[in-house]
Amino acid sequence: MNSPLFERVRGIAADVLQVSGNEITAQSSTENVETWDSLHHLNLVLAFEQEFGVQFEPEEIDQMNSVQRIVAVLAHKLNHHS
Amino acid sequence: MAIAIRPYTEDLIPAVKAFNGRLACGGVAPEFHFPESNIPYWLRKADGRRIYQEYYLAVDSDFVRGGFILKYQDVFLNGEMRPVVYYHLPVSEGIVNKAYASVGVHLLRSALRMQPMLFALGMGGFDRPLPQMLKAMGWSLCAVPFYFKVHHPARVLGEIGPLRQGAGWRGLADLAAYTGTGWLGIKLVNFMRSRSAPRGLSAERINGFGLWADDLWRRCREHYRMIAVRDRDTLNVLYPADEKFLCIKISVGSGVVGWAVVLDTQMHNNKYFGNLRVGSIVDCLAAPENAAAVIQAATRLLEDCGVDVIVSNESHAAWCDALGSAGFFRAQSNYIFAASKSLAEVLAPFGTSRDQIFLNRGDGDGPVNL
Repeated sequence: MNSPLFERVRGIAADVLQVSGNEITAQSSTENVETWDSLHHLNLVLAFEQEFGVQFEPEEIDQMNSVQRIVAVLAHKLNHHS
Repeated sequence: MAIAIRPYTEDLIPAVKAFNGRLACGGVAPEFHFPESNIPYWLRKADGRRIYQEYYLAVDSDFVRGGFILKYQDVFLNGEMRPVVYYHLPVSEGIVNKAYASVGVHLLRSALRMQPMLFALGMGGFDRPLPQMLKAMGWSLCAVPFYFKVHHPARVLGEIGPLRQGAGWRGLADLAAYTGTGWLGIKLVNFMRSRSAPRGLSAERINGFGLWADDLWRRCREHYRMIAVRDRDTLNVLYPADEKFLCIKISVGSGVVGWAVVLDTQMHNNKYFGNLRVGSIVDCLAAPENAAAVIQAATRLLEDCGVDVIVSNESHAAWCDALGSAGFFRAQSNYIFAASKSLAEVLAPFGTSRDQIFLNRGDGDGPVNL
């Protein structure tokens, strides 16, 4: 996974989760990134909403527990919006 | 994981018990566990009642992963009655299992989708997770000032928790209590800070709120930018005559100017109050110009009861002044008011309106710790 969308997600996730960009992979998730707790999850959601100009539904927020899933939710949402 | 927010029904009780079990294994204190009954223990929904609670759960197939409580109550807001909902006890499995880190945001976003005019109250201080989350989501936050007045200085100096946190303070408090210097100092300050009561002030113990309470509510509500309904029906639900509350009606001359609800509680190894007998001014109502009369009457009642210390939280400027005039000291507050974006817009500018809002320990989840 090295799409432009993934790269943008990776950059934001690294920034919010306070880890270096190369530590973030598609498999990065709440279970293997130590700083990815409830508050950081909220900050991630808010950062993606601001960056991409979207608003996530509560059900979508639940799915966003890994970088791969975040990219999938965003891709679906952006395609739907365009 | 496909989590859905559902009303708490009886069939989910075993799943809630299992959820609480997982929280307990993760070291979460019992006060943050979710109720193990789907019927609210306080303010259950009843025909015609405008103040009630509803429980909601985050359900993931057969598992409960979180929950929250909404308390519905009409609020007089900017001169009109509107439903404003209190969001409380949001609890998520994310606090013990990071796989569910998203549940807290899901709960809050779901509650906002159901009721945009939300507020939270209490929460234990700005540094706790919930206020931090609310702040990140753009809610407006402020502390509701906390006041205390010492009635039995020697006992208070010997017992009170925050004063005894450090070894130095502990020793000083013991010395002041033992030698009597603390007693003398506090009595002197109380005397200097207390103003005399208004002429003709009288207070009467009541068992229930009558029609006069409706009349008083209609006269007083216009004075406040935001105040939860305190009419006769609501007060008789919140403060039933057969419970521990001491209720008084305050008059000046022949006119009723206000009421107060107080508690006289013997604490036992309490983390803040040790074994003190704590009086609390839980709730009250009057027009701002009569706040001092009500606070003085409530304070006198509690002092006559023999409490060691009296505490209160009040947000409105006139009530803060009234507490200061009655000899109360202001201390750091961990009783936080948070308004959702929709509510804060109605209260804008929040920085100015926050001391025109009427909030005290009768709001939110009531005097649960008093």
